[in-house]
Amino acid sequence: MGWESWLISTFARALAYGTPLLLGTLGEIYAERAGVLNLGIEGMMIMGAYSAFVVSYKTGHPWLGILVAAMVGGVFSLIHAFASITLKANQVVSGLALTMLGLGLAGVLGRSMVGTPLFTSLHRITVPGLSTIPIIGPGFFTHQNLLVYITMLLVLILWYILFHTRVGITIRAVGESPETADSLGVNVARVRYLCVVVGGIFAGVAGAYLSVGYRPAWTEGMTGGMGWIVIALTIFAFWNPIYGLLGSYFFASLYHLSYRLQAWISPELLKAMPYVFAIIILILVSRGTVQKRRGAPAALTIPYTRGEE
Amino acid sequence: MQRKSLFVVLMAVVLFGGLVATAAADEYVPGEPIKAGFIYIGPVGDYGWSHAHDVARQILVDEFPWLTTVYVESVGTGDVVSTVDKLVRDNHCNVIFTTSFDFMDPTVAAAEKYPDVIFAHCSGFRRAPNLATYMADFYQVYYLNGLAAGALTKTNKVGYVGAVPIPEVKRHINGFTIGVREVNPQAVVDVRWINEWLNPAAAKEAAEALIAEGCDVFAFTEDSPTVVQVAAENGLASFAHYSPMHRFAPDYVVSGELVHWEEIYADFLQKVYNGVYTAHNLQNVDYWWLLSQGAVEMGAKAEVAINPAYSDKLKAVVIEHPTLGEINAYELIESRLNQMANPGITFDPFQGPVYNRNGNLEVPEGMWLSVDSLISLEWAAEGVVGPWPGEPE
Repeated sequence: MGWESWLISTFARALAYGTPLLLGTLGEIYAERAGVLNLGIEGMMIMGAYSAFVVSYKTGHPWLGILVAAMVGGVFSLIHAFASITLKANQVVSGLALTMLGLGLAGVLGRSMVGTPLFTSLHRITVPGLSTIPIIGPGFFTHQNLLVYITMLLVLILWYILFHTRVGITIRAVGESPETADSLGVNVARVRYLCVVVGGIFAGVAGAYLSVGYRPAWTEGMTGGMGWIVIALTIFAFWNPIYGLLGSYFFASLYHLSYRLQAWISPELLKAMPYVFAIIILILVSRGTVQKRRGAPAALTIPYTRGEE
Repeated sequence: MQRKSLFVVLMAVVLFGGLVATAAADEYVPGEPIKAGFIYIGPVGDYGWSHAHDVARQILVDEFPWLTTVYVESVGTGDVVSTVDKLVRDNHCNVIFTTSFDFMDPTVAAAEKYPDVIFAHCSGFRRAPNLATYMADFYQVYYLNGLAAGALTKTNKVGYVGAVPIPEVKRHINGFTIGVREVNPQAVVDVRWINEWLNPAAAKEAAEALIAEGCDVFAFTEDSPTVVQVAAENGLASFAHYSPMHRFAPDYVVSGELVHWEEIYADFLQKVYNGVYTAHNLQNVDYWWLLSQGAVEMGAKAEVAINPAYSDKLKAVVIEHPTLGEINAYELIESRLNQMANPGITFDPFQGPVYNRNGNLEVPEGMWLSVDSLISLEWAAEGVVGPWPGEPE
């Protein structure tokens, strides 16, 4: 087994396992950039996974399933938006509640779908031409589904919007200093609502990726804690979609390697490796100088009330 | 003010007294309706372990008019005693089943707390006058699956995705490996652990890693059909685990293990109903049910031991067997199945001589491994490669 096989499998798994993480991270970046921490990713993801599965199963159209999952994720996130923006409730509590609600609700709704195979899943495609390049071809362009590449495209679009358009400036202003944004005539609540819903939509699609693409089946609790990794990756990414892509793929590579390396290193230690690495990065990025430059949105988790000092 | 505090104290005393009074449950009278409580470690929608117990529960409810049931799912080990409290006090359960190895110690504690309630704990070994143990074990079926896997591998590398490295899983991997090597002494079983009972993404990545290592046939212990699906996506054969997963990959699932917990539950509850089992005589009641009792079955679909799509491939593999002479893999599986499934069992997978992978003799020539040794098994059989947490030196 040559070194090429190690590179190929690592690249391929980075894309396949990294994509749902990346989708979730992109959404959470937008929510947090507007100042709303949403710990409900796991709940929105599993709702997306369930609804995408049901729709694909009943209609035979996985893309319709993904669309519905996006809507379900978006609508579901409104609960968090309402609690944390309108009611100004504690964002941590409200987000956790969303996770618990999603896991429970999807579990109950999904009872009749357990043990049902889905044969109308996303097709796995091999990109003509590109797939013949040595190593890169089988690593990046073989047997992935289309959503993997769409997600890459979305990274660029979201990055551009956030840093190079008025909309992006508005979002970041709301997250940094809602008072200033408000005084300039920005409707803070509306921007925050929209960003939370964008987060929900992306989490819903991330779940859909799992149930109709990555592993076409419904299993209760199938998101398996990915929503929490997303929370960490968002920080890891300095709230930047491009770094979100790098972080997600990197985490997924480590995750894959943790299984390949089991033959030599203890499985328990390897299981901890990606997480240990995440902590190390968090410590590094939290150091003073870096933080000043790339810190969290200043108003993150703080509800905004006009005229309050 | 003082009167108010006095009132509070009185209220507390009354409430506390009430709690203590209800802690003593009424003892079950044979012939009365039974209320059985089931405590599951996973969600009933896992399509694996907890799902299988719940399928059995529903069969029982249909079968016995005198039985009503209640279940609590996704219970953590730390919450077992409080869940029992609830089942006894609020639901008035007479019989409680706790269905995870991890629940062993809390079940013992709960049984002490409620000496008049009948308990049965699945897959453990600690008993009490009101606490029985039970298990429907797969090691024979894994061995039979292994015979087929050994015949089908072309790369001589069989992949195994293991859940949590406890004796039960190790016993199954060993049984499987002994089967693989009986047909194909060159083959190895490469194991990867995910350290969780249910995590489809982890199972998928572990299976993908094994594919990258060159494995071409798969078996596993994880509570979802993931490994079966991953193998099929790559055009590779696999063996289902726990539930009828044939339909997830009809062309690629060779066989698998199916459980019939209802056989054990029905026997146990009938005996409680008839007054044979009480809260005072369960100290030595241990169900260790296998193929011959009908508690487990070979196959990925009820009553289909081997996927017909693989019959010819298995028949084409002819080996020179040390005791059975020239025989094809299909016949070998059938003959071993008959030896173990019919009463008067004449074969056991752990029939000596069995060596561990460090070359030490674990089961001497002509001996079978005792149930106690099977339950506490930690060693890795010859032919297992990959990590093995807790391997004896």
